[in-house]
Amino acid sequence: MIGTSRRKLLVASAVLATGALAFTAIPAQAFSVHNEIGVTSNSIKLGITLPMTGAAAAGYNKVPGGMKAYFDYVNANGGVNGRKITLVVKDDAYTPTASVQLTNELILKDKVFAVVGALGTANNKAVAALVNPGRRGIPDLFVNTGFSGFADKKTYPTTFSLFPSYVMEAKILSMYIKENFPGKKLGLLYQADDFGRDALAGFKTGGLAFDVSVPYAPLSQATPTTPPTWITKLQAGGAEVVVLFGVSSATAAALGAAYAMKYHPQWILGSVSGDATAIKLAGVPAPLFTGVQTASFLPAPADTTDEYVKLFQTINAKYNPGTTFDNNILAGMNTAFVTVQAIAAAGKNLTRKGLISAIETKGSTFASAGLTPMAPSATSHAGYNGYWFGTYDGTATLKPNGGTYTVYTTDSGAGAVAKSTYKRPAMPVNGLPTN
Amino acid sequence: MKKARVLSMLSATALASMMVVALPTAAHAADPACDGKLTVNSCVGATSDGAPFSMMVPGNFNGTVYLYSHGYRPNVNVVAGIPGYGGYVVTNTPQPGPNATMIGYLLSQGYAVTGSGFSRQGWNADAGVATDVELIGAFKKQFPTTKHVVAWGESLGGFITQALAEKHPELVDAVAPMCMASGTVEAELTMAGDFLWGVKTLFDPSIQGTNYAAGAAGYVQEMTDLGKFFTVLGKIQAGISSGAWPDTTSATGLALQKAGIPVRSAFLLLGLMSGIGTQSAHFDSISGPAGALKLAFPLAVSPALAILENGANAGALAILATQDVENQSGGVIFDNTKTDYAARIATESVVFNVALGGDDSIAGMLAALSPLNPGAPRVTGNPVAIAKMRTLLAHTGKINVPTITMVGVADPITPAGASQWVADKYAAQFAAEKAAASAAYKTAGSYVPPVKKLLSIWSTTPATYTTFTTAGAPITSTPPAPGTNHCNFTTAQYQVVAKQLGSVAKTGMMITGGALNTLIRKAKNLSIDPMYHAPLLKFYNE
Repeated sequence: MIGTSRRKLLVASAVLATGALAFTAIPAQAFSVHNEIGVTSNSIKLGITLPMTGAAAAGYNKVPGGMKAYFDYVNANGGVNGRKITLVVKDDAYTPTASVQLTNELILKDKVFAVVGALGTANNKAVAALVNPGRRGIPDLFVNTGFSGFADKKTYPTTFSLFPSYVMEAKILSMYIKENFPGKKLGLLYQADDFGRDALAGFKTGGLAFDVSVPYAPLSQATPTTPPTWITKLQAGGAEVVVLFGVSSATAAALGAAYAMKYHPQWILGSVSGDATAIKLAGVPAPLFTGVQTASFLPAPADTTDEYVKLFQTINAKYNPGTTFDNNILAGMNTAFVTVQAIAAAGKNLTRKGLISAIETKGSTFASAGLTPMAPSATSHAGYNGYWFGTYDGTATLKPNGGTYTVYTTDSGAGAVAKSTYKRPAMPVNGLPTN
Repeated sequence: MKKARVLSMLSATALASMMVVALPTAAHAADPACDGKLTVNSCVGATSDGAPFSMMVPGNFNGTVYLYSHGYRPNVNVVAGIPGYGGYVVTNTPQPGPNATMIGYLLSQGYAVTGSGFSRQGWNADAGVATDVELIGAFKKQFPTTKHVVAWGESLGGFITQALAEKHPELVDAVAPMCMASGTVEAELTMAGDFLWGVKTLFDPSIQGTNYAAGAAGYVQEMTDLGKFFTVLGKIQAGISSGAWPDTTSATGLALQKAGIPVRSAFLLLGLMSGIGTQSAHFDSISGPAGALKLAFPLAVSPALAILENGANAGALAILATQDVENQSGGVIFDNTKTDYAARIATESVVFNVALGGDDSIAGMLAALSPLNPGAPRVTGNPVAIAKMRTLLAHTGKINVPTITMVGVADPITPAGASQWVADKYAAQFAAEKAAASAAYKTAGSYVPPVKKLLSIWSTTPATYTTFTTAGAPITSTPPAPGTNHCNFTTAQYQVVAKQLGSVAKTGMMITGGALNTLIRKAKNLSIDPMYHAPLLKFYNE
């Protein structure tokens, strides 16, 4: 009885309090009480972990600059529902144990509302297992990896993918190679971990067999004597077309060793392997890119006919001055753009639960620079689902093959690969997503 | 009606309490001898099973006594030169608190302290609880103004403290099992045994590891194993730098070496599959020296060095405690015939993929340790001995009285997962209590929410803490980092626990809200994040 009476009293107090506030006619936003961590009436705090220093930082360390520039642009235009977004950046140097420690810091010390764009398959898996944002109900948005497992809502309930999965990529590559390089001897150089394993699964499903496969242990590319052994194996196997499914530092090492050993196959780089900025920073001169092919799901960063690229270049010039616009800035801005879209879709009463629900229910219609739609749903947290192919020229500028984006789409399962009929909707006015 | 029922329950509780207290006191324990000093009256005595105890009671005794249970002491003398234990001589000196500073602190606050040295050393949980029960009775008899008893203990003493609260909640107002072992002794011995088996299988097959003889012969085997274990650890340590495998490496280990697998990767795998942590006293598995090794050191080397520091504890425990529990149980109590080490490292093989050398290297090592490899014979336990071991005192995980756990997140002997096991059990218990309260509301019309009885305190590590010389060599001469090493607590951290226990004794309630947050913050390197979840011991995931 005592418990019931107390509850009635509390309810009565709440009613009275609400009534009193209503009479003052203050805007709703001013008196709405936000208990959600990382959110106030005028701010939203987000966090990211990625390598800003160390051997893996090249290229990736431009991503937060791109994200911040876009958030600054949104903030200058009133924020999202009146809330301005800040981004806390933590440098994990690509070390999974550091990602765990720093994500804990983001959650417990910085008290972020959500983690956005955390980079690396092993890093994100470590965080999922040892920090467990899923159990804590903390949104882990648009992870910067294509590991297919992150689309599994059951295992990763608050994690959302953005990139197409590596399985999708390998399936699409299979189709592309079979169509464009029939009868050629094929080679594969891949990283021997979850990243590479995802690709192997995709190639298997895609029905592509390689004449010679060369796995490499993560980081082994840093040992100068190792990359020549890859090339020796590929040469010995007579590979005329070589697919590289690894990190950009491995691409740089492979291209460098191949050049030195006068081995000139047709290189086809996976999307992660094909980061021109990182490869150039690793010492590969631009002319060596000539004819190298790669895959992407975003428009080419030099394509100023694309309205997103055009706007992002303008934003970059104003809010991220002195930084050359490239694929990393583009990817960072697009991640920020989709994040803003998701936050807007979650409504004025922003909660972690509401944000997750908004992505699940509305994510497949989100505007973004992506050339394929996103695929989140109530049962899957998948991201984009397709790729187009392009070729680098002698200035390391990527251009779509045939001059237009021919996008192929598929899923991470046994579904077929098909040409996409998706027509990207027009960009929201001024590049500012609304609900 | 309600009042009468409460009175009746009180009477029953009092009666039960008196009965429990009265029984051991009647077991012919000698009355303690006290010095009668007015400032602190110090008494010594022995329980009926011969466990020496001490009691210290300040002149301004406020009626609350802190009963302390000490941690694991080997039941055999340990030869000199063994890290951590060398030169140890079996002792049952009573210990009434974690250290002199904390004893002094409690006495200065008007609290009394008491504790025993137990009647036997080694794994003694059954005897330990019996001793504590008798000691409570003896204390109350000697100091009849005693109103409240709170119990705390560390490591094995934490295990005993939790068991005491489970079996005799009527005797204690609150408890604090710190850096506790939990559940069963089997959980700890599985972790230690897996690691020792791995070291034997790859690096020195002459290590016996199990099936120790009774008596003097067993003692020689045990000491010989300790010597071999630490000798091979030294060789592995050297090999982590030089790349050389120990000269005692088995044929199975040599095959891995021939396949190009570094000794550090193989050793790391043994630690990971056993559940040994990769944060140790001096290695955070995050930091690297300035220069070329900035990234490679934490990715490839530091985790193995952390396993080396932590594994020294695990291996010593494996040998000392296994021999003890084998003797108590009558045979081999470790059995890994069905252990799936590949499943054990499903997550770790991703997190530490680089340090393990990538997927192919991991697959090679797991194949080498597979039951299908005759060069890696598994240990078959003695079913009778295992059954007997399982009759030793075990926890249910039930929380009967206000309970505070505290453990370092990187404790190498009683991993944080042991305290997590209790927290998980309590989460289920609390959910059931809430459901019962809701059901009662539906029938009786009043909702009485259950009161939370468990506070989990985690002693946390700094973000990074490995330090390096200017030449880039890791420094290991500094004190262990907070949150690492076994029961590595500061006075301020102990005081948080002591104050919580004192609060329950005084008010019936734990300190909560802002006052608790202030206590935690001031003590430093503590967290009470309810969403923190330490990895359980591997034993509990199978």
